[in-house]
Amino acid sequence: MLRKINIWYITSLLISLVVAIPILTVFSSFFDTTSAFVEVLKNTFLLQYIFNSICLLIGVLTLTFIIGVGCAYMVSFYNFPGVNFFKWALILSFAVPPYIYAYSLTAFFENYGTAFTILTNIFGEYNYNQYIPKFDELLGAILSLSFSLFGYVYILTRASFLYQSQNLIDIGRNIGFSKIESLFKVIIPSARPAIIAGLSLVSMETLSEFGAVDFFSVNTLTTAIYNSWISFDDLVFANQLSFYLLIFIFAAFLIENFSRNNAKYHLPSKGGFKEKQKINLTGKKSLLFFLGCSIVFFLSFIFPTSQMLYWTLKYPKHFHDLNITQLFFNTIYLVILSSLVLIVFSFISNYGNRVSRSKFLNALTTFSISGYAIPGVILAVAFITFISWFDENFVKVYDLKSIKKIFIGSIAGLVIVYFVRFYSLACNGLKSGYEKINRSVDESAYLIGYSKFKTFTKVHVPYLRNSVLFIIILVSLEIIRELPITLILRPFNYETFATTAYIFASQDLLEAAAVPALLLISIASLFILLTSKYILRDNSE
Amino acid sequence: MRKLTIISLFFALISSFTIAAEVNIFSARHYDSDVQLYEKFTAATGIKVNVVSGKDKALQKRITEEGADCVGDLYITADAGRLGAFAAKGMMQNAGWSKAIRDAVPSQFRSKKWTGIAKRARIIYYSPERVSANELNGMTYEGLADPKWKGRLVIRKSNNIYNQSLVASLVKNNGKAKTAEWSKAVVANMARTPKGNDRAQIMAVAAGEADIAVANTYYHALMLSGKKGAEQQEAAKKVMPFFPNQQDRGTHINISGAGMLKHAPNKANAVKLVEFLLSEEAQNHIVNNTFEYPMISGVIPNDLVPGKEMNFVMDTKTSVKSYGAKQADALEVMLAAGWQ
Repeated sequence: MLRKINIWYITSLLISLVVAIPILTVFSSFFDTTSAFVEVLKNTFLLQYIFNSICLLIGVLTLTFIIGVGCAYMVSFYNFPGVNFFKWALILSFAVPPYIYAYSLTAFFENYGTAFTILTNIFGEYNYNQYIPKFDELLGAILSLSFSLFGYVYILTRASFLYQSQNLIDIGRNIGFSKIESLFKVIIPSARPAIIAGLSLVSMETLSEFGAVDFFSVNTLTTAIYNSWISFDDLVFANQLSFYLLIFIFAAFLIENFSRNNAKYHLPSKGGFKEKQKINLTGKKSLLFFLGCSIVFFLSFIFPTSQMLYWTLKYPKHFHDLNITQLFFNTIYLVILSSLVLIVFSFISNYGNRVSRSKFLNALTTFSISGYAIPGVILAVAFITFISWFDENFVKVYDLKSIKKIFIGSIAGLVIVYFVRFYSLACNGLKSGYEKINRSVDESAYLIGYSKFKTFTKVHVPYLRNSVLFIIILVSLEIIRELPITLILRPFNYETFATTAYIFASQDLLEAAAVPALLLISIASLFILLTSKYILRDNSE
Repeated sequence: MRKLTIISLFFALISSFTIAAEVNIFSARHYDSDVQLYEKFTAATGIKVNVVSGKDKALQKRITEEGADCVGDLYITADAGRLGAFAAKGMMQNAGWSKAIRDAVPSQFRSKKWTGIAKRARIIYYSPERVSANELNGMTYEGLADPKWKGRLVIRKSNNIYNQSLVASLVKNNGKAKTAEWSKAVVANMARTPKGNDRAQIMAVAAGEADIAVANTYYHALMLSGKKGAEQQEAAKKVMPFFPNQQDRGTHINISGAGMLKHAPNKANAVKLVEFLLSEEAQNHIVNNTFEYPMISGVIPNDLVPGKEMNFVMDTKTSVKSYGAKQADALEVMLAAGWQ
């Protein structure tokens, strides 16, 4: 055991401890007393809030499953017009944060909104409001979240489909399955781990989402968290609710893990892998597939982007009023710094786990997921509370200079909390890459005289290049879109595209929010375009 | 790229160490027109204004936990209840408002620790096509519970701070039990489950979904201004404002205000900034950009705001301080009434 404790082990342990700060702080709320809000809520809307939260979750999971798996299936197994375009165009949905989707949805369908304007322009004056469907509340939130999150399911499922051997499909066919039967009985079950991984990312984002749910003021447990904190000044109960959400997610994970305990999902060994043959579609069917992908692309990307573009063109004043260069640098600075920190520490932690082979460390890493599943604002508050507590109880005791200024309202603090929030994304992403490198590769490297460090730089890093790029892009997109943490922890006079969009939106000037929103989408899209070929690693290309 | 990172790192570092005349603001009231005002202030005085904007409670939490290390001077927000509650927690200090400030702001809109900067009214908007003058005669907030409004009223959700402050003022005036009954009756009168912001309520009346709406005055003015497009401008003209409770205590008034934070390092500069915000120039800027009512006399509200002659009765009897004290009670009675 002692043999295992080296510098790698200690660093990994430290990282895990930092990441565990919020969950510990949130858990400590159970030792405090709550306000009357608990009783009020129990007697009134608690059941409805829970019910709505479950509806939201089920709605988003169902939609992202259908859209994500459906699109991945179409572009992976068939050839139809535009398939090479859709392959990467569908990931552009990642560039649109749920809250910006929510702004577009509202602006288009509300009374006297964009749809009303369009109808008036075409058919003349009339009270069209009653005929325009309203996508708000729970439905609005489900749509906003689904269309901006289905990308997780799409990317991961598609990657898994790519490695499905033709043999598997042949077997299905030999048994006499139709294409539909093959899809549900062979293709989807064998991609199950990837689909579940995508859906679990979606579910965590859904339960910890702040912008869209707040914008539509859907009555979910998130509302309860806010009401408790804002109106009853009861942060304790807010923390406890967040903790219950976390437990719920952990439970879901465990059940899923348990249920497939005995199933093994091997990658086909090299020799047995038969290149998949894409089916060429013609006629009606190809049109159908083309339309399916077009609709998803339109709804997930073109619709929100054009609403933002429409406003930017209609009210150009807002464009000139913004200090775009400053916003750009502020946003990019945070993205680069945080991605760098995340990647470096994920590498260290993963490598530490690998060389120490400690089960304890592995379990701690699993814990790290908590940062991703706690609402961002609660996470930021937990961090502030912890820093303050640490400062009062340790730093002050030894008469040292206060550390609060270093961590609260500083770039350093922001980067640390981003780190805690997105660590599981980075670390688990890298882990799955690492698992594909056989340990015998390490042994061989040691045999030919490589040091551990040289093995790391000369063997692991090149092997993992694509995984790393994929993680960088995911993390960057998350940070560009991130709102609640940035809002509460940023330094004076520090605005990003996301905070600027929020500030305009919160004074009911969505028209002005359009400019920063559009720029945010553009930068994120550029990121995606530049790296799409790495995200979409394709054997056939 | 690396050079760039180093350079920006360097700038971020020095910008946090520069010592100059400055004032630091935590603001939960984030109008871009406020930023323009701060720029004017800097141009006139040389005092730099630094701002962090965000959500009320999040900012309060940050200020509280930063404790003695907090460099914030002023806390600015758009609800008296929030100012009062934060002051009650001991997070503010006596500001030492100058005579100019004390003369400019009526005493019910300020305390030793905080002061109002602008006023807003929460009133009723109605459809003149479907609501007769007779029906509205003597209308009060209490009257929203009258069964004649069944299926005709729209108002936003109970988690909204403007509703909470309004209901808090009812709790203060009529007691919790009566307000609980009132809430139930109001819920029974709703034309739809509450949704959307104040502007959405006004548009629901314009679109014929309801006959009366409760909304803050500046939302309607924003629509009339054309900043939300020609269609909404037209829609806004289809509804009319009505000031409730004119025969008794007056229309519910709330404030945007600034409080002096407990550990403010630039107290004198902060007072100067507040003085500036209450100057005629700044007040004119505020009323014409945010469509609020001025805090000082002698400044005329924007043309698009109802009651611009300020000839309506304002509720000056219910202290705005009570909005904070009764906020939890207000939410409790609304939730108990099934107010979503």
